[in-house]
Amino acid sequence: MNEPTVFIVDDDQAVARSLRWLIESVRLRVENFGSAQAFIDGYDAARPGCLVLDVRMPGMSGLELQERLAAQRIHIPIIFITGHGDVQMAVRAVQAGAFDFVEKPFNDQDLLDRIQRAITRDAEWRDRDLQQARLRALFATLTPRETEVLELVVEGLSNKAVANALGLSAKTVEVHRAKVMEKMHARSLSDLVKMAMQRQG
Amino acid sequence: MNAADMLPASDTLWLALVVLGGSLAASLIFLGVLLGRLRETERRLDEKESRHETVLDRLQENEFRLRTIIESEPECVKLQAEDGTVLEINPAGLRLVDANQPADIIGRKIFSVVAPEYFDIYRENMRRVFAGEAVVYEFRAITLKNRVAWMETHAAPLRDARGNIYALLGITRDITEHKQAEEQARRHHTELARVARLSTMGEMATGIAHELNQPLSAIANFSRGCIRRLRAGGMSPQELIVPLEEVCEQAERAGDILRHVRDFVRKREPRLKSLDINQIVRAVVKFTEHEARHQCTHVRLNLDPLLPKVAADAIMIEQVIVNLVRNAIEAMTEVVPSRREIVIQTRLFDSDSVEVEVADTGPGIDGNLIDQVFDQFFTTKPEGVGMGLAISRSIIESHGGKIRAESSRDGGAILRFTLKISAQQSHRRERADSIHS
Repeated sequence: MNEPTVFIVDDDQAVARSLRWLIESVRLRVENFGSAQAFIDGYDAARPGCLVLDVRMPGMSGLELQERLAAQRIHIPIIFITGHGDVQMAVRAVQAGAFDFVEKPFNDQDLLDRIQRAITRDAEWRDRDLQQARLRALFATLTPRETEVLELVVEGLSNKAVANALGLSAKTVEVHRAKVMEKMHARSLSDLVKMAMQRQG
Repeated sequence: MNAADMLPASDTLWLALVVLGGSLAASLIFLGVLLGRLRETERRLDEKESRHETVLDRLQENEFRLRTIIESEPECVKLQAEDGTVLEINPAGLRLVDANQPADIIGRKIFSVVAPEYFDIYRENMRRVFAGEAVVYEFRAITLKNRVAWMETHAAPLRDARGNIYALLGITRDITEHKQAEEQARRHHTELARVARLSTMGEMATGIAHELNQPLSAIANFSRGCIRRLRAGGMSPQELIVPLEEVCEQAERAGDILRHVRDFVRKREPRLKSLDINQIVRAVVKFTEHEARHQCTHVRLNLDPLLPKVAADAIMIEQVIVNLVRNAIEAMTEVVPSRREIVIQTRLFDSDSVEVEVADTGPGIDGNLIDQVFDQFFTTKPEGVGMGLAISRSIIESHGGKIRAESSRDGGAILRFTLKISAQQSHRRERADSIHS
């Protein structure tokens, strides 16, 4: 299930089949969908990969599908296939967060390279999402007091200054700080600062 | 001496006196009668004279009234001599030509306010008025203050008591605004037509490109997929059959698209109906009337009223005749206006066709070029595209007719085309023939 899949959404069955034949030649998994709606109905956001999407389709267009996915916070990279140099449409798609676009007729190597990059990007995104989820879980283990101490520490305040700010003794602050480091699996202060930034980003 | 003593003498005297007195009285009465008669005559004479004066007064009054009407007439009214000299002009006319006083224009030639390119047209219309015609013509005027304006004149001949035409009576108004609006509308219209044509072609090209891109992309993808597998090795030839069949199918799909485009681009088939060719000619003359009049071109019809109906697509045949008439008008711009004439004739050509002929009095067609006039992009006009006659020929040929061009002995061009008599008609004629025989 963790193997990346290239999802092709194209209403032209012959084009979709040919894309599948081409992409499978580099040993990638391919799944075809005949319409944007079929993709929305059949796609499980947990599945990694990328989306190869025809801009012009009857019914829901490629751009509309992009909007729908964004609204559902599904961040699968999208490579748009545009016909006859519809640059304006491609620009709109990229502005709306599309990963890339190729213009028909395209060079096969070019498309395959872009697909490869999109899959790599998807993996990075998923990795980052996983990290953030893990961090969120770690942060969730902290008590409110520990959270307060953490926030002041990562701002660069000394134990004494934190104690003054929170009306605690320096000793108590030191205990809380040690607990935070342990719960967050942080080996150093800089580790902790990085985690705090990642949580925000 | 007393009266008794002289009685015999006094008797005679008395008699003489009585006689004298009687005749005197008679003469007096006579005189009186005479005098009375004289008075009566005098009175009558007076009466007559006063009546005569009344008539004169009335005449003067009428002239004054007419003059007042003309003077206060808001449109320019003028009298012109045969050579174009302005004889009289009303105040509105003075304003129209930007004259300060009558002397600025009266006694001068009207051509001092006509744009030079309209001299010919103006002269031709003047000639027609002095030949007895009433005419309407438009021209560009350059006023005494160098203002450019469009004018329309309604002109009629003015005759004296013996019926001789001694002047042109012209009523002229400024139609600049109207002309500008018309020009704008015309430009708008042609611009629209051009844009519509371009955008239709553009849209069609875009559509074709998109349509063709699909099978071409598929062919490329299938082929590339095959090559990659072959390069990587370990492929059985069997596995390549399906994608290669796909390639063939997609190539055929592209072929179908092109065939469809070709069908679309090819001119539509004429929708033949049984039509009166004379009616079509008259319709064309009507909507080319303005252009013809503008170029001072006289269009004469010589239509055979007994022609059978033809099998034709009215819109297409109208288009052909319009092309021929426009070509004729444009061919005669170098000809003196009085010689610009188009003659359109219809006649029975043979047992199953009718001929339409459009002849002009232009320079005719160069003998060396006569075979090329129907070729695409052949044109002698500086701004011509060279499609008019090419389209006309393809239309006539799609109707099963023939179109020919030649120069007439007098030098003009003659274009003739034939159209088939409609089947219903010839059928009816055959039946009529068989009944008669």
